[in-house]
Amino acid sequence: MEKILQVKDLELSFNTQAGEVKAIRGVNFDLNKGETLAIVGESGSGKSVTTKSIMRLLPEQSAEFKNGEILFGGRDLTKLSDKEMQKIRGKEISMIFQDPMTSLNPTMPIGRQLTEPLLKHQKISKTEAKKVAIDLLRLVGMPKPELRMKQYPHQFSGGQRQRIVIAISLACNPKILIADEPTTALDVTIQAQILELMKDLQKKIDTSIIFITHDLGVVANVADRVAVMYGGKIVEIGTVDEVFYNPQHPYTWGLLSSMPSLDTEDAKLYAIPGTPPDLLDPPKGDAFALRSEYALKIDMEQNPPFFKVSETHSAATWLLHPDAPQVEPPLTVIERMKKFPGSRYYEGGAV
Amino acid sequence: MAEKLLEIKNLKQYFNIGKANEVRAVDDISFDIYRGETLGLVGESGCGKSTTGRSIIRLYDATDGDVFYEGENVHGKKSKQDLKKFNRKMQMIFQDPYASLNQRMKVMDIIAEGIDIHGLAKDQTERKKMVYDLLETVGLNKEHANRYPHEFSGGQRQRLGIARALAVDPDFIIADEPISALDVSIQAQVVNLLKELQVEKGLTFLFIAHDLSMVKYISDRIGVMYFGKLVELAPAEELYNNPLHPYTQSLLSAIPLPDPNYERNRVRKSYDPAVHEYTKADDVRMREISPGHFVQCSERELESIKAAAVTK
Repeated sequence: MEKILQVKDLELSFNTQAGEVKAIRGVNFDLNKGETLAIVGESGSGKSVTTKSIMRLLPEQSAEFKNGEILFGGRDLTKLSDKEMQKIRGKEISMIFQDPMTSLNPTMPIGRQLTEPLLKHQKISKTEAKKVAIDLLRLVGMPKPELRMKQYPHQFSGGQRQRIVIAISLACNPKILIADEPTTALDVTIQAQILELMKDLQKKIDTSIIFITHDLGVVANVADRVAVMYGGKIVEIGTVDEVFYNPQHPYTWGLLSSMPSLDTEDAKLYAIPGTPPDLLDPPKGDAFALRSEYALKIDMEQNPPFFKVSETHSAATWLLHPDAPQVEPPLTVIERMKKFPGSRYYEGGAV
Repeated sequence: MAEKLLEIKNLKQYFNIGKANEVRAVDDISFDIYRGETLGLVGESGCGKSTTGRSIIRLYDATDGDVFYEGENVHGKKSKQDLKKFNRKMQMIFQDPYASLNQRMKVMDIIAEGIDIHGLAKDQTERKKMVYDLLETVGLNKEHANRYPHEFSGGQRQRLGIARALAVDPDFIIADEPISALDVSIQAQVVNLLKELQVEKGLTFLFIAHDLSMVKYISDRIGVMYFGKLVELAPAEELYNNPLHPYTQSLLSAIPLPDPNYERNRVRKSYDPAVHEYTKADDVRMREISPGHFVQCSERELESIKAAAVTK
């Protein structure tokens, strides 16, 4: 499979008055061509910072690359000048944000906002750009696109606005689309429409998507692969089936158990105790150890490396070390593992 | 069934009445809330679920209709004294724990505000003790009393909001999207806390939310709202297993679940209100299909819905 983006040993800190906040503490992942990689984790886990550092959208006064590289098309994005970056942003890599109201300019008709990236990045005339823009609106399912071109963002509903934002981001056929919680502000029914639209478009234009969300339901719907982030690190990465049906990291267990499924019985909902780690002074060992009932002594002292579960699946937890004691995951997780060939709880039958 | 704590009858809440932009946020809805239960209210944004909650607790003056609390009408002319009594029994927890706590007040005073207004503490020592107890009840500790809201995380702030609501020892709490602004791992903590408190103190909840899986988990019964109307009301389990109104069906079919196999096979239904083909002559209202399961329908639709309910 062709690797379109490689993030290697990325470390990034914010210099604040209170001190150095180590927001990303060694992140590694690849993005393959045409796939959707979902990054999940709670606020402060570093998922948005990771993608913003790919786009170089972080404030330069305070954000500082400490180590690592982001390889895209043979170049290291962390080293590019602003001018070079501008040629990539919106053309090769584009981004969709959470709130479609704030990412559109309220004083500009949407037609002009759609043609802006086209005129900037491609050598085409205004009339041509307008034609392309109308086609884009049609592509994202906007009725009467010619008429809509002259309208302003406030004349559209939330779902329609997100469609427009998607159209703008796709204007230059980007190789990578980064979607940062694109459906979090939308209702479930509208969310379902937008997710269907994104999957449909991905097939049509063959772009790779990095999808950030905290909603595991959405992840299960859109992702080919999943990376789980905690405390500025990826703690588990694998295909969507591997992460949902054969999770290995206690944090992934906690996340999956704390969401009620529609058949969760009256039993008490599992809640991960405590609060996320303070990245001003990150814990020495496994950042999740303090909240984990599965923590081993070594978790407090040494940071776990990645252990391979399969070719595509690995997790950073000492529990996977050959010498580690075997532990029972939570019941809800065992239920999931029963469906996964290769897990020790597998009960037969196809996934 | 249990005793009715609240009776909402033909509640209407219109805004900009008589103007071109009149909004019928809540349009003639009726339901009961029983003592000790959790009633979930779900629907898309703008369907009127929050307005319903706010009208019940009289943050808005209802355009029409009545709300009876233990048989007494909450709306209509009331003296300040009478209102105070209701305010003590009904409390509200808001969605945004950042906006609903006064940034300039210490936690002690935020929580004690209700205690002061209703004169529940004899002296300063008792007031302090009550606040400390409340903080412990919601899983914080007494050292937190001298801090300001900005020193707390989102989940902790929501705990403060809950402590404030509990301060006046209410019977009934309206929780308006209390967990929507919180992280997944923190949501479960707050939901468990609400459930524990309910058992401990015999509270009754109206739980307003758009996250349907969480609503099902916490609620005994669930009402579904669409454009200011209640379209279906049923016990939680029944509503999920046997949704009868096409809007409820479409809403349920849109929820993504953390299960990739289910997601690959999920078929989404869309809802078009035109499918009902209602005319002016139709008597569209809530009708009981099976015990405790109400669906908004016309006389004409009743038979087919009943048939569908049986075959499922």
